[in-house]
Amino acid sequence: MSSAQTFVSRREANPISFTRGRNTIRLEKRNLGSISQIVIIGLLAVIFGLISAAEGTKATSLDYEISAVESEISDLSARRDDLAVEKARLTSVANAKSTTVAAAMTDATVTGYAAD
Amino acid sequence: MRRIRFLKYITLAAFAIIAVRLFFIQIVEHDSWVAKANEQHTMLETITAKRGEIYMMDGNEPTAVVLNQTVYQVIIDPAVTPKDDIKNALEKHAKQYITADIEEVYKTEGLRYYIVAKNVPYSEANEIAKEGIDNVWLKEGNRRVYPENEMASTVLGFVNADGLGQYGVEGSLNKILTGKDGLLKSISDVNNVALSIGDNNVKIPAEDGKDVVLSIDRGLERGIEERMASAINSTAASHAAVLVMNPNTGEVVAMTALPNYNPGDYGNVKDASAYINQVTEVPYEPASICKNFAFSAAINEGAMTDESTYFNQGYEIVDGWKIMNAEQRSMLYGQINMRTALYWSLNTGSIQALKFLGGNPNEITKTGREKLYDYYHNKFRLGQATGIELIEGVGYIEDPNEGWGRDSTYANMTFGQNLGITMIQTATAFSSVINGGVWRTPSVVKGTLEKGEVKPLENREAVEDQILKPETSAMMRSMLINNRSYKVRMGIDKPGYDVGGKSGTAQVIVDGAYDESMNNLVGSYIGFVAGAGKMPEYVIMTKMWGEGQALSGAEAQNLFDSLSNYVIDYLKIKPGGV
Repeated sequence: MSSAQTFVSRREANPISFTRGRNTIRLEKRNLGSISQIVIIGLLAVIFGLISAAEGTKATSLDYEISAVESEISDLSARRDDLAVEKARLTSVANAKSTTVAAAMTDATVTGYAAD
Repeated sequence: MRRIRFLKYITLAAFAIIAVRLFFIQIVEHDSWVAKANEQHTMLETITAKRGEIYMMDGNEPTAVVLNQTVYQVIIDPAVTPKDDIKNALEKHAKQYITADIEEVYKTEGLRYYIVAKNVPYSEANEIAKEGIDNVWLKEGNRRVYPENEMASTVLGFVNADGLGQYGVEGSLNKILTGKDGLLKSISDVNNVALSIGDNNVKIPAEDGKDVVLSIDRGLERGIEERMASAINSTAASHAAVLVMNPNTGEVVAMTALPNYNPGDYGNVKDASAYINQVTEVPYEPASICKNFAFSAAINEGAMTDESTYFNQGYEIVDGWKIMNAEQRSMLYGQINMRTALYWSLNTGSIQALKFLGGNPNEITKTGREKLYDYYHNKFRLGQATGIELIEGVGYIEDPNEGWGRDSTYANMTFGQNLGITMIQTATAFSSVINGGVWRTPSVVKGTLEKGEVKPLENREAVEDQILKPETSAMMRSMLINNRSYKVRMGIDKPGYDVGGKSGTAQVIVDGAYDESMNNLVGSYIGFVAGAGKMPEYVIMTKMWGEGQALSGAEAQNLFDSLSNYVIDYLKIKPGGV
């Protein structure tokens, strides 16, 4: 009995996998590892957080401006009230009566009327 | 490998502990932590509504007589505030507002907070702030300012330390003047600046109080107060009250009482009765002034005229009581007419009017009493609040049938005793007697000042009721002018004008009975001024009194005389026949 060995090349043995003109690469679906996912999500959260904080800071600076304007309004309002009080005191009949000019005046009398 | 595995377990355990703690904080204890955070970061402030100002008329222009002023308290921490700096600053800029002895404050151990000056106005507070002294705080507040000082104080009232209006217009119109406080709820930062971030921010704006315009003319008011003070100084009176109103509109143009007080310094008033408005709050017996009402009732019912006569014997006996006339000159005995009776203010005359009213000229009847009650209470609205925008006393009118001695009670009521009515009730009723017969709700408020325009008060009910015939009113005017005919002859009343009036001298009730000593009397006078032959333009009522003093209608009349001429001049009332 002759025991002749037959050589079969790997390409021939697996004709589907090894065909002419094709690279012998392995096509396999690859997923991100759980750590990578957490890192990416964390990074995204940080980015969104920073954006939000930046917006918040912008709003806060406007709040400071508003607060300064309101304080100024309150200040001016106090000053206006102060001047109004001073004016009222100066023009009060109590004050007018005590001036030297008023003291020298005589009481009004009926002097005449406009024609009806 | 073992070590790494051990480290891994330790790390996992640490994270697990943190996760559990976070779970507790964020889920289980969520509400409690949120509350704590809110407590630290939430600003909750009341936005105080600005109290409305009060105006009086100056001619045709409303002029502020009650204003608001921002004032400051100066607060120090004696432990760290430099003593000399604050002392010098206060003495330099706010000496009159210092409320503490600085040296004593600094000697007191343990003090960390002390108010050293109060009611410091803006400009002075600003100067103190500019000094830049460490550890000095200026706390903002508000103060009501009355630049006319004591003038018309009983009409204006005051605002107490809690911001509540008391007495006068400040009290009666407190709701309109106060407005409605707002609310600010917001997240704040460490500097206590309100931030717009957050979902629960709330801002409800304050609704400021409305500015109120009074119908009172401040120049007229001042002139009247000066004349009242002069009248008090020249008589035994210690008190006086005056009311001037337009009988054709019900508008009060002057209302005042002396002694008065400064509403800006109300706390220093010694006698609290100074707060009370004598014109609207105090019922009294205006005495013979009420004869006008008894006469008007009888004339209006067609029961008598000014020429109707009766027999005057100087007194009347009613229910066993002898009611005397104050005037007992012999020329008045016998048959006289009602015009003469009113001129000499005879009590028998007004009792006769009551008899006429009842349909029997010889006696007081139930019908007469009931008709007089109808006129006094239902038509003239005496013993009832008039509806003026001030705190009012009510008083009383006796029932015509219930109770003992109705005839004598009603006889007394014809000359203004056994009843209680206020000056404003009396003047309003008198206005209807002389204005053509129309009773009008009196008013001291023109309205609220909105965008420069005066708008009438909302929901105010004003009555206009024709209670007397115009002919009755004309006859009463004629009799009242006749009452003052001697004033024309004496040159007191100006030519070209009709001035009418009636005096009243009332006994004061002491220990439940009239003081028969006649040493305790209240004098009143009411009258009107008009161009000759024209309708009256103003009613003036005066009242003078003093404890234990016999003030008659004559003193009140003298005050009326000076005021009637002043009113004619000040308000430029046109004379008739020119």
